[in-house]
Amino acid sequence: MSRKRPYRSKMRILADMMRAIQSEGEEGAGPTKILYAANLSHDRLTQYIEELLEKELITEVDPDSNNRTYFLTEKGREFLREFIRVERFSEAFGIEI
Amino acid sequence: MQAEVGIIRLDLLFEFFSGIIALMVTYYASKAYSLTGQKRLSDLSTGFLVLSAGMFGRVIGTLYFLIRQPSEAIFAIVTIAYGCSRIMAYILFAIATRRSPIHKEEQLPSQSGVGLMLLTTFLVDPSLEVVAILVLVVVVLQSILNYMTTRSKFARYVLIGFFLLLLSHIFMAQVGRNGGLYLLSQASQFLGFLSFLVMLIQAGKEE
Repeated sequence: MSRKRPYRSKMRILADMMRAIQSEGEEGAGPTKILYAANLSHDRLTQYIEELLEKELITEVDPDSNNRTYFLTEKGREFLREFIRVERFSEAFGIEI
Repeated sequence: MQAEVGIIRLDLLFEFFSGIIALMVTYYASKAYSLTGQKRLSDLSTGFLVLSAGMFGRVIGTLYFLIRQPSEAIFAIVTIAYGCSRIMAYILFAIATRRSPIHKEEQLPSQSGVGLMLLTTFLVDPSLEVVAILVLVVVVLQSILNYMTTRSKFARYVLIGFFLLLLSHIFMAQVGRNGGLYLLSQASQFLGFLSFLVMLIQAGKEE
């Protein structure tokens, strides 16, 4: 029997994308890697990457080539750290975010 | 007499520090709410804010009553206001920590019925302590379910915290029969809030 996937808030999706980028370390992550790691459709991925770039949470290298790579900014790293704290706090009280 | 005053002062000290911890949880919950927009975090924040306001009100009120002998009516009003503020906070905790809709099939079948029953009891039962115990039983049950699902140490600290709060009300309900339970009740409440504080510190630590 398949388990129903829990609802993911937009904030969690953005955090999942940023975790995928962070997990690649110095090499940065490409769109395909982020797409699979955050379990997103292509349209959603494009929309959320735009948002992360706008908020200066990630940076883009080689935007015009096929080897686009994304890196976390310092602001992005701080956001992710804060999100993890909030995630633990909410989990402690059984609140899904 | 000396001993009685000593107990009262220790009680106020416990209450004061518990109020500060409740304020810290309020701050963290509202910060989490502003980041995520999750309504339940706002309910949790309001609950802890009401709880801390009640605690500080009790500390100030008790100190005032130690200096000036109040009339019975004022004493009764303050006691009821304090009791009601706690029950309001616990109801908010019960709402904030309720299980999410997708887990409905895993819920205890009578849980929503229990909630309604509690509200009805609130309207008809004059004993605020008993109502507080009933609401906290729901909160503790929800915390147990959460801990069983997540098995996280953060959920364990919250479960311990709410359980000790429940214990403190059980002790308080029996103070009429045994006065020594009063300090035990206050100590239990203080330990409960210390558990929340440990959770806050652990959750804020870097990996």
